[in-house]
Amino acid sequence: MGGGSSQNIEVAVAELDMITDVFNRIVSSCHSKCINPRYSEPDLNKGESVCVDRCVAKFFEVNKKVGERMQSMGGASAGAGGGGGSPFGI
Amino acid sequence: MDLSSLSPSENAQMQRIIERKQMQDFMKLYSGLVERCFTACVGDFTSKALTNKEETCVLNCTDKFFKHSERVGARFAEHNADMMNQAQQPR
Repeated sequence: MGGGSSQNIEVAVAELDMITDVFNRIVSSCHSKCINPRYSEPDLNKGESVCVDRCVAKFFEVNKKVGERMQSMGGASAGAGGGGGSPFGI
Repeated sequence: MDLSSLSPSENAQMQRIIERKQMQDFMKLYSGLVERCFTACVGDFTSKALTNKEETCVLNCTDKFFKHSERVGARFAEHNADMMNQAQQPR
């Protein structure tokens, strides 16, 4: 980042980047999983809508599970990646 | 996102950063969408112009992507609100 930004700003930017990143990954991943690539209509149909809702919920669940797992692993062998705090809980 | 801890000048700086990021995100979205819809819709190279079918597909693909993204955004916001409430309540 550019020079002269305070620590507060760096924290805020890091948070913004993380949230944006997670959002973009969910959009991309759930689009591949739920949207029919035939594109015969411009609207989400019923099945796709339900799929998207569930996909988002599941993504968060997976996010949490992996985070918990990594934290318990980090507790046993603090090393790779240096994961320590609780930055997984979006 | 909580920006209340920032001073007014930091806040102004943050707004500029957010605007710049939004511009970058928009360009990324644009190119990503072109690639996504091109891959999904275009596969016939017997002519130089888009066929009617391809064009309809591309328009549907674009519309649908935005609706998809909107829906994800709504669920995302709900989830974030739940997390906020959970973080505040048990005290």
